[in-house]
Amino acid sequence: MDEKMSIMVVDDEEIVRESLSQWFKKYGHVSETASSGFEALDKLEKHPFQLLFVDIKMPGMDGIELLEKVKTEYPDSMVVIITAYGSIESAVKAMRIGASDYLLKPFKPDQLSLVMERISHQKRLLFEHDYLKGRLEKITRFDNIIGQSPAMEDIFSLIPEVAQSDSSILLIGETGTGKELVAKAIHAKSRRSHLPFIAINCGALPDTLLESELFGHQKGVFTGATQARKGFLEVVSGGTLFLDEIGEISHKMQIDLLRVLEEKKITSIGSRDAVDVDFRLISATSQDLGKGISDGSFREDFFYRINVIMIDIPPLKKRKEDIPLLIQHFLEKYGHETTKHVDRVTRDAMELLKRYDWPGNVRELENAVERAVVLSQSRTLGIKDFAFLRSSIAPLSRPLSLKEVEKQHIQQILEEYNWNVTQASKVLEINRVTLHKKIKRLNLERRS
Amino acid sequence: MSSKKRLVGVVALGEVPEIALKVITAHISGYFNLSVQILPPLEHPEYALDEKRFQYNAGIILKAFESERFTDYDKVIGVLKLDLFIPIFTHVFGEAKQGGKFALVSMFRLGKNPDGSPSPSSIIYERAAKVALHELGHLFNLLHCREKKCLMHFSGGIQDLDETPIYLCRYCSTFLKDCLLRQPDNEKPLKQPDKIPLNLLSSEERFRQ
Repeated sequence: MDEKMSIMVVDDEEIVRESLSQWFKKYGHVSETASSGFEALDKLEKHPFQLLFVDIKMPGMDGIELLEKVKTEYPDSMVVIITAYGSIESAVKAMRIGASDYLLKPFKPDQLSLVMERISHQKRLLFEHDYLKGRLEKITRFDNIIGQSPAMEDIFSLIPEVAQSDSSILLIGETGTGKELVAKAIHAKSRRSHLPFIAINCGALPDTLLESELFGHQKGVFTGATQARKGFLEVVSGGTLFLDEIGEISHKMQIDLLRVLEEKKITSIGSRDAVDVDFRLISATSQDLGKGISDGSFREDFFYRINVIMIDIPPLKKRKEDIPLLIQHFLEKYGHETTKHVDRVTRDAMELLKRYDWPGNVRELENAVERAVVLSQSRTLGIKDFAFLRSSIAPLSRPLSLKEVEKQHIQQILEEYNWNVTQASKVLEINRVTLHKKIKRLNLERRS
Repeated sequence: MSSKKRLVGVVALGEVPEIALKVITAHISGYFNLSVQILPPLEHPEYALDEKRFQYNAGIILKAFESERFTDYDKVIGVLKLDLFIPIFTHVFGEAKQGGKFALVSMFRLGKNPDGSPSPSSIIYERAAKVALHELGHLFNLLHCREKKCLMHFSGGIQDLDETPIYLCRYCSTFLKDCLLRQPDNEKPLKQPDKIPLNLLSSEERFRQ
């Protein structure tokens, strides 16, 4: 037995209670006894027991009745039934109600030892089951997709619905909005969840390499093909294939993939034999595919084939109410990873982060929080910890006049201090009246 | 080890070969480094016979030991040639209360090999010595050990008993030393850690962890 358990022996015979209790103590288990079902329930109410050894024949409440109550009220407690009056019927009944095992007394010492081994094994399996269930729930509860805005709530309710079908899905959204996370969540909720999820960034691979990666190749068909290799379309076998940046693929590849989607067969490079394939396709793009169709770079028939269901993931600037929640999530994540106790953001810094447009979306926000946590010297992140965001704004293409620079700078400071003129004037080192005059002269207005 | 402060008595209940008592005594002295004495035999424990089972109730004999005058001894081991049981089990090779003073060793089932053939005397006495040392371990608060190569590993049958070594694993050995170093009048059960250090586990158990 691997670990110590809290065990209760329930038997009306004192000698049996004491014998069993003593035996368990020799293994280091914490052992308690009860002389009746009522006493056992009283003790269970005060203290949890992982395992109960219950005699079937007891006055008042018999073992079967106690077993039923325990399984209803304390389902985590395991029960082993022991009896000198054993019969197949009572054994079957006890096991059906939920007993973990059954012993006829007197039993050989190694029988009890074997039962304890089995219980220990069951406990380990239950623990693993609970752990994995928790992990799976964590994935399917979309814990990595953070949001409470109406747009994200819509997506959360859409994911389980679309996951049930095998229809192709097109995810559209700016870079960094979390398209791959949505694809993973759909996969995790689908009947294919126990099969592979393979993600390929089409934009990152040259056309020939992408073809080889997707379709596979035979040995010797091109330089470097020293051995035959299966393509991802075959390897994914029953799972989900996620093709990111689908707008980047060539015309030829569009035709090849269209054929695969229609025929569900592939032929690897250098082979003449077609192989059956089964996968669910989720594509994603940050481009305007409609424009691609208009200018002829994207095939219309392929577009309709991959776009049976479209999910539009909004950019972060359109769901700014999610920013505090995302920041909190990333603070916890990087606080844990870096073991730095940074767990809050000042109100001013939060306002700044909410005003920023986040062109790189959630990915940029995550990187910003990570950088701030790593470099922070205190528990709280302030405006100065996010100063790099201002410097990362792309420079303008034409030179600015002095008036324009002044206007931009004053606007920025005012926004940073939420249009608190007193604070902004202190930072600008001018008096309040002067600042008011400049606001009027430069036509400065609060941004939405 | 302050073995001289701890005196163990070995006593026969009814007829028991003297050589068995001597072997047990020698093993206790040799393996546990304790002072041991063979005591005058006690009478056959007729009072503990269960007429339905034709076996002797170990619990009743241990209870009766409490009224015997064993005040000079820290621990006492009773040796019998009778078939012992405790109510939940069909039989026991030995019985001791965890951290108690008295233990029993039954030689009744030690005379046959797992295949039913008779065992030579040397094997029988070695088995008796193993059971005695195991039960004495319980009296010194040692728990059942999951290391198969340890005297404190539980043996449910003769085969298990034969496969169990006569020595303690390093972990149980250290625990016993700690226990013996403490004063007898201050003897509270030490808490054995839940897990055996990894270097004391077999490779299979290490993998399972």
